[in-house]
Amino acid sequence: MNGQQIQSKIISMEIDVLKAVRQRTLDQLTEGPFVKEARLFFLLLPFFNGEQWSDKMESSARTVAIVYAALHSHDRVKEEMPISKEQQLTVLAGDFYSGIYYQLLAEGKNIEMVQKLATAIIQVSEKKASFHERTLQEPEQVEETATVIETALLNAFYEENGFTHYKQLMEQSLLYIRYTEELEALKNGEFSYILRLLSETLIQSTFIEQWLAGRLETLGNEIVASINDCELDFELKNVLLHQIIPHRHSAEPLTREG
Amino acid sequence: MEKMKLKLLYSDLKPELELIEKELEQAVDSESLLLNDASLHLLQAGGKRIRPVFVLLAGKFGDYDIELLKRVAVPLELIHMASLVHDDVIDDSEIRRGRPTVKSEWNNSVAMYTGDFILARALERITEIESPRIHDILSKTLIEVCRGEIIQIEDKYKLDQSLRDYLRRIKRKTALLISSSCELGALVSGTDEKTAAHLRRFGYFIGMSFQIIDDILDFTASDEELGKPAGSDFIQGNITLPILYARRNPEIYGMLRDNLNLDLSDEKRLEIVRTIRASSAVDEAKRMSERYLEKALKELDHLPKGSATKTMRKIAFFIGKRKF
Repeated sequence: MNGQQIQSKIISMEIDVLKAVRQRTLDQLTEGPFVKEARLFFLLLPFFNGEQWSDKMESSARTVAIVYAALHSHDRVKEEMPISKEQQLTVLAGDFYSGIYYQLLAEGKNIEMVQKLATAIIQVSEKKASFHERTLQEPEQVEETATVIETALLNAFYEENGFTHYKQLMEQSLLYIRYTEELEALKNGEFSYILRLLSETLIQSTFIEQWLAGRLETLGNEIVASINDCELDFELKNVLLHQIIPHRHSAEPLTREG
Repeated sequence: MEKMKLKLLYSDLKPELELIEKELEQAVDSESLLLNDASLHLLQAGGKRIRPVFVLLAGKFGDYDIELLKRVAVPLELIHMASLVHDDVIDDSEIRRGRPTVKSEWNNSVAMYTGDFILARALERITEIESPRIHDILSKTLIEVCRGEIIQIEDKYKLDQSLRDYLRRIKRKTALLISSSCELGALVSGTDEKTAAHLRRFGYFIGMSFQIIDDILDFTASDEELGKPAGSDFIQGNITLPILYARRNPEIYGMLRDNLNLDLSDEKRLEIVRTIRASSAVDEAKRMSERYLEKALKELDHLPKGSATKTMRKIAFFIGKRKF
């Protein structure tokens, strides 16, 4: 599968998600469902890598994307007072998408996946709540929090369908992308929840940039090793390293031998 | 006092309801202290637990098994709770049932996570039931409830909306979940289709009546009785049945129009509340609620006579007469 085919499949999944959650008012007055491209890439990675891929898996993957969109929608709810109409509908968009996730899986009689995704949502919500608690003491705990938020839903999908051999690569890659975004935010003077937690757990808050750069370096090397473990073909490796993880400047130029 | 009266009505179900209360507490148990606190804060504020009650009562028409019924009753109450936490963000509400809301005690983000957490717990629990029909009904209900809430936002501040708009909205917002509570309780207990259908319709009519009474009470009860400021619906732009009836008086219409979507002083708010109260709108709305109640009672006539039918009838009468 070449880069163009991969991109086209990702776009097709985005369209499927859009169609599944279509609702006139929400379409007009909210941002609409949003799922990061990298998350869609990893949802479809087993398919891209030639694994056996059934209609049930495709539908299950679409549902995971819808849950990502639901949680993203709720992340966009701000603290503004009084709350605007767009914000009110953003709350409802998240709830509506969650209802669609349940309905789609119920229609497909995939109740096990309803349960797995519900458990993953609980984990993600618990980790997000930790942003507002003073319970994290070490940067490693912050990393675990970020990892669960980024990957719990995908892990539910991998576990359901026997694709756990991609787990490590997916976790490293999504964390890498998250840290790249956090570093970018830091440089732009923005302050996210993750950055605040890091500043609280590191000895000096000025170490954040250095810490993130260090983790990116390590994760970059780990990703290359995991790619080899997963035996991805040349095109897929290329897309992953140069399109899905665009900031990975240290990536070695690939040869067809890998 | 009112809540106590209601609880007396279903005193036969006391042990089962205590079990459900415990299950609800267990269900919101979380490794996050914050989510645990926020969920318990909501749970301990109480509530009528009308949905679990109807699940249990409907179960009496089949093979009553509390172990099975609680698997439906607990998720239904959790779904209701989750929607309340998010509703308070939408309505910017500071107080619910006399206590600070989750969004007010913490913030909007925590309220969002709490609602997501509680809804996920509900779905996790309901998957203990395998029947595809149960999931089909519940998932469709969930979506319709959301559609109702979306329509409510669309209809906000629209003083010229029709009675049909209002009824369509409260059907989705309230009646469907109560209707599903009755139907699901019946189905997990293995009742026949006809009985399940009567119970579903009973729940629907009761739900409609219940919401109309709720909307009336927003004008007729005191701030203390409501646990929130009277007239909150109008302040939030929700055009309810008493407003729809009252607006037919041109003078009241003008007053409502001029004060809609404004940051009202307490004095002005109470003036509006008094005006609606003094108009014929409250009585007309009550009559509408009674019509739904009568329809609900007619559905009960088709069901076998027994303690469950009797309790349902009592609850129906209570709903029609409740003061807050």
